[in-house]
Amino acid sequence: MSAGWQKFWRGLTGKNMRALLLFAWGSAIIWELYKYLGRLFDDRIPLLGIGFPVRSSNVSMPHVWSILGAFFQKTNRASDEVLVTTLFGQAMVTLRVTIVGFTLGVVVGMLFAILLVTIPSLERALLPWVVASHTIPLVAIAPMVMIWGGRSGLPIWFPIAIIAAFLCFVPVTINALRGMKSPTNVRVELMRSYAARRHQRLMYLQLPSSLPHLFGGLKIAATASVVGALVGELSAGTGTGLGRTILNFTYYYMSGPEKLYATIIFSGLVGILFVKFISLIEYLACRKTQQGAKGRHT
Amino acid sequence: MSTTRRLMARSVRTLSPAIAGVIFIVLWEVLILIFDVQKFLLPAPSAIAEAFGSKWSTILQVSWVTIQAVLLGMLLGTGGGILVAYLVSKNESVSGPLLVIATALNCAPIIALAPIANNWFGLTSIISKASIAGLMVFFPVLVNCTRGLMLIQPLHRDVMTSYASSDNELVRYVRIPNALPYLFSALRLGASLSVIGVIVAEYFGGPVKALGVFIGYEAALSRFDSAWAGIIVASAMGLSLLGIVGLIERLTMPSARNSS
Amino acid sequence: MMQESAQRAIEIDSVTKVFEAVGMEPVIAVQDVSISIEAGEFVALLGPSGCGKSTILRMIGDLTAPTRGEVRVHGKSARQAREDHDYGMVFQEAALFDWRTTARNIELPLKILGMDRSERAMRVQEMLELISLTDFANHYPWQLSGGMQQRVAIARALSVRPKLLLMDEPLGALDEMNREHLQNEFLDVWTKTRTTTVLVTHSISEAVFLANRIFIMSPRPGRVVKVIMSPLPYPRTAETRRDPQFFEVESEVREALHGVIRDKALDV
Repeated sequence: MSAGWQKFWRGLTGKNMRALLLFAWGSAIIWELYKYLGRLFDDRIPLLGIGFPVRSSNVSMPHVWSILGAFFQKTNRASDEVLVTTLFGQAMVTLRVTIVGFTLGVVVGMLFAILLVTIPSLERALLPWVVASHTIPLVAIAPMVMIWGGRSGLPIWFPIAIIAAFLCFVPVTINALRGMKSPTNVRVELMRSYAARRHQRLMYLQLPSSLPHLFGGLKIAATASVVGALVGELSAGTGTGLGRTILNFTYYYMSGPEKLYATIIFSGLVGILFVKFISLIEYLACRKTQQGAKGRHT
Repeated sequence: MSTTRRLMARSVRTLSPAIAGVIFIVLWEVLILIFDVQKFLLPAPSAIAEAFGSKWSTILQVSWVTIQAVLLGMLLGTGGGILVAYLVSKNESVSGPLLVIATALNCAPIIALAPIANNWFGLTSIISKASIAGLMVFFPVLVNCTRGLMLIQPLHRDVMTSYASSDNELVRYVRIPNALPYLFSALRLGASLSVIGVIVAEYFGGPVKALGVFIGYEAALSRFDSAWAGIIVASAMGLSLLGIVGLIERLTMPSARNSS
Repeated sequence: MMQESAQRAIEIDSVTKVFEAVGMEPVIAVQDVSISIEAGEFVALLGPSGCGKSTILRMIGDLTAPTRGEVRVHGKSARQAREDHDYGMVFQEAALFDWRTTARNIELPLKILGMDRSERAMRVQEMLELISLTDFANHYPWQLSGGMQQRVAIARALSVRPKLLLMDEPLGALDEMNREHLQNEFLDVWTKTRTTTVLVTHSISEAVFLANRIFIMSPRPGRVVKVIMSPLPYPRTAETRRDPQFFEVESEVREALHGVIRDKALDV
């Protein structure tokens, strides 16, 4: 195996893995300890009489083993399907939306950045709006987007992908733009000395310069598209996807609180895995040329 | 170029975002008129303005509730992040694994915890919303601040060593100034995240008077003009927060060249 | 390629360059400079920092325009010369594109020119042999030393076979030993191509070693104070540096340069 792959495997199994496992164990222990102390002191700090911030009952905080066990219980009374199977299925739905949304967001973001760098006056006029659009809460737009999607004859999950794309195109545009404007004066003058046409300047200088910056922001974009997919699902009413599942288990909380916890943990893992997958792609793409410190923006 | 022409050119340049905004709104209104778009598909700016006018007291009330949660979340997340980053930066062997954990958790959709927060702290409690927003801000701040405190240039550290400065002085004069740009970069992200976090958390269930609840309710009733009015207010909230972060940044780091 | 001596290679005619900055006094970088350069010459612009020598170079290359006066290159305007790809430029930093290998860096101007693939490959190979870096064709800039990067930059400039080579303190960032070594190598290459070259430098020995004509410039506002012809014959080698004549020319240049600075100091 080449040195790069060796490093990758070491990263996956070595110190980092140990840290994560330690964290998981530690959290479980603290959780159970909290519950134990809560049962012991009836949810009040002894002598001070101040209440615990969170009730430690089994309804509010199921035992770690009930949560883990919930993965293998039946999802609901309607079928024999086990929770873990259901969650996998729903995860596929959500992942499809996320991937489409992410790809769309990156493509649109790049195109938009190219547009803005080519016409500087547009950049001045539109960049503040691009930044502003990131603050628009999409929860409410989802039903509207669903209606538009329904009318246009696209598959019903597509509007949710649009929401995911929307959440992720802003960091992509901002980072790509910054990257395209990053080449030093010397390099810009070099291109001028070659009498390079505008599209040549774009292709040979600006686009390659944008990639390191773009990759720096890709993880944020990936996280954002997962959030967009989940949020879109829960508010869009298509009835499928992890977001919807979380909402359902919230409504039916009393019939099985551990199922909600299990679903949330599962969704968190799906999100993390997707982002790690994207950073793997980043790593593979940049292996040869990327040397030196990455940009400072997480 | 004469001074008046130069002044005019400069004002057009500074105002161009506003000009673009105006053009956009006018275009929106005109297109809706021309194609006779139904209200439930996309309301016209005039309709939204009208809804805002008629419901402004409600909107103000719900916004006040929401913004408290947003600010509390920002405060908790930032304070917690800075504190943990500071404690962790003192110990190299702890910061490495911690950074890995925090970066991993940063990728998780924290918003999924909203139902649990509601359950623990009660639907109407401000903590249930602020905790979600706080978590969303906490991780980027923690990751960025830890990096900023630790990734100082060896040359700077060597200069301080040559002055026989103490550890605390190293922190004060090198680590903290180095970390500031990282901090503000995370804060800018956090500003938009905390608004989104609170509003989405409210969507899962919140106090009767809250902006997220308001928007969701109006949307559910297909009263999209009011819903959009609420969305615009939420957006304005996020933008003001971004502006405040930018202001603080400019005050504490006057030598910084730019902030995007 | 000597038929073009009917037109001067470069004709700089009473050129003045003033930089306006908002809220500050305008800066006269170059004042009323006239220089003419024949084809095949190796000319050095020598002077203290801020004397406008880089500005003159950039005006020749159409990277900036004169405020007054005219620059003509091969009988054309500087702009036309640039668009006709008449010249290659080397800067103080190599400014290679980090995402391109050595070979692809050299290839870049050829691609922009529209040369087809097989021709490009041949030309790149030729250049790599010229600078003796064929073994490093597939290396990335971060894998090369400063001196090697600069050699690639020179090869890149020469790859289009320009009629004119413009160099702005190309060896300024290198250490002394590297610099001399590269000067020897560069002269080797130059003797084969005899491209008209304008070199901006603040190193006396570099100017004397490489150039056949040296323009001494005064500090701001930059003016040509003296022109010194170097009688040293080409081809020059490392031996030339030990030649007593070399030392004489160096002394003459040094005198002129110190005189210029002394006069300016007295002015203040």
